[in-house]
Amino acid sequence: MANVSAFAGVDVGSLGTKTVILVDGEIAGYSILRTGINTEENGLHGLETALENAGLKREDLKYIVATGYGRISAPYADKTVTEITCHAKGAHYLHPQTRTIIDMGGQDCKAIRLDEDGNVTDFAMNDKCAAGTGRFLEVMANVFKVSLDELGPLSLRATEVLPVSSTCTVFAESETVSLLARGERPENIIIGIHHAIANRVGGMFSRVGIESDVFFSGGVAKNIGMRKALEDVLKVKIVEPKKDPQLVGAIGAAVIAQNSWKRGR
Amino acid sequence: MALKTLEIIKKRLEERPKEIEKARREGQKVVGWQGYNIPEEIIYALGLIPVRIGVGGDDRMVEIGARYISTKNCVFVRETVGLFAENNDPYVQNTDILAFDATCLQTYRTAEIIQYYFNKEVLILGVPRNFYWPEAKVYFTKEVEYFTRRLEKQAGKKLNYQILADTIGLYDRIRNAIVTIYTYQAAAGNYLSWEETYDLIHAGYYLDRREYLSLLEQVLAELREKQGQPFIEAVEGEARIFLSGSVLPPGDKKLIKIIQEVGGRIVGDDLWSGLIPYLDVKIPENSLQGLAVGYLNRTPHGALPYLDLDTDRRIKRLKELIQTFKAQGVIYHTLRYCDPYTFKAKETKDILQKEGIPLLEIHTEYAGSDFEAIRTRVEAFVEMLKNRYDEEVAV
Repeated sequence: MANVSAFAGVDVGSLGTKTVILVDGEIAGYSILRTGINTEENGLHGLETALENAGLKREDLKYIVATGYGRISAPYADKTVTEITCHAKGAHYLHPQTRTIIDMGGQDCKAIRLDEDGNVTDFAMNDKCAAGTGRFLEVMANVFKVSLDELGPLSLRATEVLPVSSTCTVFAESETVSLLARGERPENIIIGIHHAIANRVGGMFSRVGIESDVFFSGGVAKNIGMRKALEDVLKVKIVEPKKDPQLVGAIGAAVIAQNSWKRGR
Repeated sequence: MALKTLEIIKKRLEERPKEIEKARREGQKVVGWQGYNIPEEIIYALGLIPVRIGVGGDDRMVEIGARYISTKNCVFVRETVGLFAENNDPYVQNTDILAFDATCLQTYRTAEIIQYYFNKEVLILGVPRNFYWPEAKVYFTKEVEYFTRRLEKQAGKKLNYQILADTIGLYDRIRNAIVTIYTYQAAAGNYLSWEETYDLIHAGYYLDRREYLSLLEQVLAELREKQGQPFIEAVEGEARIFLSGSVLPPGDKKLIKIIQEVGGRIVGDDLWSGLIPYLDVKIPENSLQGLAVGYLNRTPHGALPYLDLDTDRRIKRLKELIQTFKAQGVIYHTLRYCDPYTFKAKETKDILQKEGIPLLEIHTEYAGSDFEAIRTRVEAFVEMLKNRYDEEVAV
């Protein structure tokens, strides 16, 4: 491809490394890989895979922005930006009416408020514990001996919401084991777990407020049960994402890369 | 950038424990104190050596303290207890009497624990819960009088009111110097950072107060020579941050380091381990009542309840200081189980939001496990401020 101006956003998260390539403001390619132990290599591998999918070469890239927890080990990037700013830009790119984002990633969960230009106006993150994160749901999927992808659909088959009192990963795991031992239906426990997480997220929104349209991003946003629980608990309608919600941070990073290059920085 | 006097202060701080040890051998007594409302002037005027005790940032020491005090107390008081349990800190080792005020009830509890487990002589200064009532003045005056009588017993002499007047004068000059130095650190083209200024305040916890004043005046002379008249203004591309909330004692540098690493510039604070105790101190007369009233009229500590948000002196002063230092956002630091400040975070955020000032609460303790999570929040906050105030660096 001759004279192409491509921009990359690389989001190295704790569980997944997501990369998006933008050409002329459109997504030309992307990749989602499992994050390994070498953060820098993960980012580079994600970049190469996304470029290959886009049919582009490294030299076509004009600017790279890295985000996610792995941004601190990204010498290949021209700039690093936090995932909070990137998710705001990414959600704004996909759905410009977005004013609130619920982002659930591998190791944290965030409530982000943004203005009409996609600029962050306020945000809150969960404190320390793993509840409300992809890691938490992975642990729970393991208890039920199902894959992570099955958790959401299973929760939709529940006949009642069993209260799961603790959202600490370790205690929730032991509570779940006790409920199973008591003979409770797995679906009813799984929906209880989703509701416990949603209630916890509700606490973050009491700090930053919530305004429509609400966008759900991050790897956990692929979980249909989590989405339903959030809608029920927060009493909001979550917009349908036009792209894989796990890519939102990387999309935002690519948008910032494009804007930064245009501004000459 | 470092001023010559800062090097002298550093050296003097290294020498100070030995000096105090020597003074004790020669018969002087050391009063280690902690709190917000102890009128240190009385201690100094009685010829006792005042030392502010308590450090932070050491998780190991917190665990040692937790063997004696509940883990539901904040890490600062747990570390304070840990200092006494381990007894390696030279200032703790060289303390004859301890004085705590009952402003924060966790500090009060610390005093009880230290007395119970480590057999230390502890004086408690009672503090009214409502500083705004006339009865508070009567109560606090009585408390200060009783506190003085107990100190006199330790000093083996009566308080000389001429010496007290001189001491109040000395402390007034210290307070004025600190307030002026804060103006220099917040100004454009500054030769002294906020962190250096903050360390300068903490140097005053240990050094002899006359020498301390002389060093502060040397710092000011250097600043006047290098910087001229300070002019505070927001410079393009800066994220000017005001620090508020729980105590950041000597040794607790985690948050300060993170803010600086991600490109934020701290320009002011209203921390009780920072500027706020030195502001608005007007001792109306040379008497114990005068001291009591002077201390009551300062901005109250966060452990005392809000009575009316619209007239609360803390909020009013916070807003004024944000304006004075041309801060663009507030990082509100809360220590785990420091309930007084943690409970007030949301109200403070809401009030400042109405004025268009964003506030980020950072809830933490001394363990390093949350370092990266805090870094992400602070970095995003800095990005937000730069984006808001400087279109040129908009991302």
